[in-house]
Amino acid sequence: MSTTPPIPTDAPAQQRASDAERIARLRQPRMRPGRWIAEIGWRHVVGLAVVVFATFPLVYVLSASLNPTGTLTGSNVLFREISVENYVELLSDTRRPYARWFVNTMVVGVVTSLATVFLGALAAYAFSRMRFTGRRVGLLSLLLVQMFPQLLAVVAIYLLMQGLGDVFPILGLDSLAGLILVYLGGALGVNTYLMYGFFNTVPASIDEAAKIDGAGHARIFFTIILRLVAPILAVIGLLSFIGTTSEFVISSALLTSPDNLTLAIGLFRYVSEETSTNYPVFAAGAVLAAIPVVALFLYLQRYIVAGLTAGSVK
Amino acid sequence: MAAPDTTGLRRPRRLSGSLGLLAKIALLAVVDAIAVFAIMLLAAQGSWIVVAVVALVTVVVNAVYLVPGRFLPAKYLTPGLVLLGIFQVFVVLFSCYIAFTNYGFGHNSTKDDAISQLIQQSTSRVEDSPAYRVTVVENLSGLGLLVTDPDGDVSVGSAEQPLQRLDEGQVETEAGVAVAADGWTTLTTGQIVQRQSDIASLQVPFSDDLDDGFLVTADARNAYVFVSNLSYDEATDTLTDTDTGVVYVDGGEGAFVSPDGEELRPGWQVLVGFENFAYPFQSQAFGQALIGVTIWTFAFAAISVGLSFLLGLALAVTLNDPRLRGRNVYRVLAILPYAFPSFLSALVWLGLLNTEFGFVNQVLLGGAAVPWLSDPIIAKISVILVNVWLGFPYMFLVCTGALQSIPEEVTEAATVDGARGWAIFRLIKLPLLLVSIAPLLISSFAFNFNNFNIIYMLTRGGPRIGGIDENVGHTDLLITLVYKVAFAGQGADYGLASALAIIIFVIVAVISAISFRQTKALEDLN
Amino acid sequence: MRTGTTGSRRLLQLAAIAATGMTLVACSGGGGDADAGGGEDGGTITVWMDQNRADALGDVIASFEEESGTTVEVVIKEFGDIAGDFVTQAPGGEGPDVVIAPHDALGNLVSNGVVAPIELGDASGDFQDVAIEAMSYDGSVYGVPVSIENLALVRNTALAPEAPATWDDLVATGQAAVASGSAQYPLLVGLDPNTADPYHLYPLQASYGGPLFALNDDGTYDGSDLQIGNEGNLQFAAQLQQWGADGILNLSISQDIAKEQFAAGASPYTITGPWSLAQFDEAGIEYAIDPIPSAGGQSATPLVGVQGFMLSSYSENPIVATQFITDYMASEEAQTAIYEAGDRAPALTAAFEAMPADSPTAAFGEIGADAVPMPNVPEMAAIWDQWGATEAQIIGGQGDPTQLWTSMAEAIQSTIDAG
Repeated sequence: MSTTPPIPTDAPAQQRASDAERIARLRQPRMRPGRWIAEIGWRHVVGLAVVVFATFPLVYVLSASLNPTGTLTGSNVLFREISVENYVELLSDTRRPYARWFVNTMVVGVVTSLATVFLGALAAYAFSRMRFTGRRVGLLSLLLVQMFPQLLAVVAIYLLMQGLGDVFPILGLDSLAGLILVYLGGALGVNTYLMYGFFNTVPASIDEAAKIDGAGHARIFFTIILRLVAPILAVIGLLSFIGTTSEFVISSALLTSPDNLTLAIGLFRYVSEETSTNYPVFAAGAVLAAIPVVALFLYLQRYIVAGLTAGSVK
Repeated sequence: MAAPDTTGLRRPRRLSGSLGLLAKIALLAVVDAIAVFAIMLLAAQGSWIVVAVVALVTVVVNAVYLVPGRFLPAKYLTPGLVLLGIFQVFVVLFSCYIAFTNYGFGHNSTKDDAISQLIQQSTSRVEDSPAYRVTVVENLSGLGLLVTDPDGDVSVGSAEQPLQRLDEGQVETEAGVAVAADGWTTLTTGQIVQRQSDIASLQVPFSDDLDDGFLVTADARNAYVFVSNLSYDEATDTLTDTDTGVVYVDGGEGAFVSPDGEELRPGWQVLVGFENFAYPFQSQAFGQALIGVTIWTFAFAAISVGLSFLLGLALAVTLNDPRLRGRNVYRVLAILPYAFPSFLSALVWLGLLNTEFGFVNQVLLGGAAVPWLSDPIIAKISVILVNVWLGFPYMFLVCTGALQSIPEEVTEAATVDGARGWAIFRLIKLPLLLVSIAPLLISSFAFNFNNFNIIYMLTRGGPRIGGIDENVGHTDLLITLVYKVAFAGQGADYGLASALAIIIFVIVAVISAISFRQTKALEDLN
Repeated sequence: MRTGTTGSRRLLQLAAIAATGMTLVACSGGGGDADAGGGEDGGTITVWMDQNRADALGDVIASFEEESGTTVEVVIKEFGDIAGDFVTQAPGGEGPDVVIAPHDALGNLVSNGVVAPIELGDASGDFQDVAIEAMSYDGSVYGVPVSIENLALVRNTALAPEAPATWDDLVATGQAAVASGSAQYPLLVGLDPNTADPYHLYPLQASYGGPLFALNDDGTYDGSDLQIGNEGNLQFAAQLQQWGADGILNLSISQDIAKEQFAAGASPYTITGPWSLAQFDEAGIEYAIDPIPSAGGQSATPLVGVQGFMLSSYSENPIVATQFITDYMASEEAQTAIYEAGDRAPALTAAFEAMPADSPTAAFGEIGADAVPMPNVPEMAAIWDQWGATEAQIIGGQGDPTQLWTSMAEAIQSTIDAG
């Protein structure tokens, strides 16, 4: 892939990508119906089928969240009743500060995913652009070390954080900062590998051209490479954000006080205690919890979709 | 991240190095400050090994960034590696250490703690003995109790000096309770609060005969006569039951044991060698069940990944056509299962799959009674189905990304050469795609190999396999089985859990390492 | 922030030194503050409890703080997490002075050495007997009981106006209601398809086979004499399968479905505890609380759960913490406040008798007063697992009940022997 010519530098990648789409659409302004079905129509059928499969349990949750009575199992008639009662209850329960959990989750998710993207990109750049001893073994080890079942290492993590808390109280147990650090321990690994693959698709000739212009490695990385790999950064950011916001085992071991909980732990408590389960409110909380992830996906989608090399290799 | 700045590429020289240098020095300064602070604190605590490690890491980090022209790759790798070292590598090593201990239920503290707790637990009030009103007093020999007995008689005593009757003239009483005595100073409430640990552990012998027991106060107001039927002898390191005469000795396994094998709880933490690692190989029935579970774990992980990948890829290919209107809507909707916290989804599916009331049976299948989660085979299908539902959006995401990273030219060149849709995909795109996706499939396999949430939330591993003492179920994965054995039995056994975690880790890591070789995923690295 | 020229090295060094200094100041300042917080006049005790009880006890805690000069730091935790976190955190010095925990966690807590016995003195006679039994382990009392909870039969008075005199009565009324179309289920008992629910089924079992362990003279369990495999229990196992086949018990009915269906008037009876009453009240159905009729001849006593305040053996404030527990948590004011907030019967007899006689909680309490506490030996966790899985297999008709039950009894015996 390194035989491609250096990239022109007149417009950002995603701009050109959407140009490409527009041109593609313009190229075939009209199609015969038969051809439309063969080339486009069936895609709608497949898309619809998958969407139904993907969303029917979630539609069910949405329905349950709008139903003022009932359980997750007992409300089989979708949208039998519609009321925002559960949402009101969710947000007004002072014993379970949902809004606080929401903020906590966003803070942990955003900080972790930004830092993960940054750390991962740094490492991927080194693996992709530099040659050093231990490079292959290093990359492989990064993938392997993350296969340790963290659920069973949670005791060690707990004791480590207890010790860390003795030195730096703000990083110890029951601290969001500490939790973020634990998550960042996993910043390298699969993410690095994903990025590494994408970094490799950026032609080395770009680096070389910049180097001839007198740019140092740091400048090449921060001003040229990062921009060209924006789509993969978006993907990693999204994956990391999703992974972090739904993580349960470690956070429930480390976080204890009600004000410090994340959505995953807090919501689980709506259904984990036999004597105080409240499925409809749980459903309402789960629906709201999914919104930021969907919003982030929508926002990042143009990066994810705007192909990387599709733009740069024209 | 990448702000759309069109000027940067044209004029790279304008971006001066001084800003970067400033940032670098500032960051290093912060890191060093934190390190120095930590070292001072740790030194004060006497944790010299940790001090040495922190100092070494700090020096290395400084060297990496300050020595010009050297260690270039390290400049990029260090931040991630330090965090990885602390929160992954160290945690794994720490787990290895725990695996060689008996840390867990009944063994969660030190021997000193265990001895004092055992004696405390064996202390009981002498039956039918009266309650005494007390005042905490002090003289040069130490703390004492000024005791008013139910008849109104007053005595005083301390740890060394058994209770002594006092005459009325020597004491000052308030509401029938002696509050001060000659030769003793009465403690104020504030002093009591400050010295409460000492007061609570103060034992005043009732008489010269130790068998009569001793007075202890738990609230500095009332005292009762207690006897302890365990006594610890430091010289021989034994506990003796004074009622039965049984001598408990430190059995070397973190507990005091009697000659006939009775173990006193609590015990304490000790190293136990490979005992935890040998556990799975001790019982034959359990060993056999373990083999079955291992096979199912592989099957579960492989099938889940395979089906999720196929579905995700198919969808990615289908939607990867710029002419398709509304494909962004499809994309967002298809990604939703992934956006929803996974263990919450598992709970939702639990409801959906209920045999009699679930949405699937009642609405989708018109009142069928498929036992989704309680028939051994159907339960296996169910958990895979739910797992595919959870996993395919991820595959869809990465496949979409990977497909789009394949240059248009490749397709165009093939089209010029006369290749058509399916052939282009199968012969050109798929191999390219697999190169970049294979490692993710492997890591996804490893993730599903340890996919605790879905199994535990949906079936708890059930339905149970009959005929085995341990609670092993048809849908149990290794990790849920380990969890149940290590935590759901009689309280937590962290040592065993860590040992089994290491065994699982070794299995997964070896298989993954071999797979990496097989797929030659990393071949371009050579 | 593009300076264009190379910056002054001196300036950078200054900046670096300043940053170092500031960080140090910030760090040490933070540390100092944290240390200074602890030493008040009357000391500070930390108490772990759940939000519900913390709300209820606000006044009592305030008066304790005022009278003793002690600061009470209440850490709110989910009730189910308290015992587990306590065992993990107490040895590291992170634990509280006082916790509230369910009595069935006691064996675990004592075996891990994290709780200290409390001598109640003559005050122990002030509590319901079953509550003191529950809080006892190995001859010592560990804490002050505050509330008692247990199962009973809840009857929909519109569908079944009279309390059933016998089990057959109950089944007949239930089936008649189903036959006439006024109800869908003869009886609702919340079960799990794979682990059934030994706790909810226990009253039925007790009416056949007596308790899990033999009882000592003083009403406590003799943990060395397992009775689960006895003849009566085998009869119960056979009956369990019959009930499953007849639809009296239904593995598809989870706790939530049982609650919801009963609240919707779909069955004349359900076996549940006081925690479900709020939902029934909300649904507006009329109900009554009855003892569970005996199916096997002996009395169908439920297992009683008791919650109490316990003292940490790692507490550095044992005197103040003990005063808090024995003088304030044992007071009628505290016990009544907890009862009013949580619908569970108070453990203090004076508060128990002060309940309005016609209240549902009092009805539950009356039934619980004659019952036995849940066993609190640490092996119970493993026993519940085996017990429940076997019951599910029997109800589901997956094998011969006698054989399944016998092998379960053997497995439980070997679990206990291993412990």
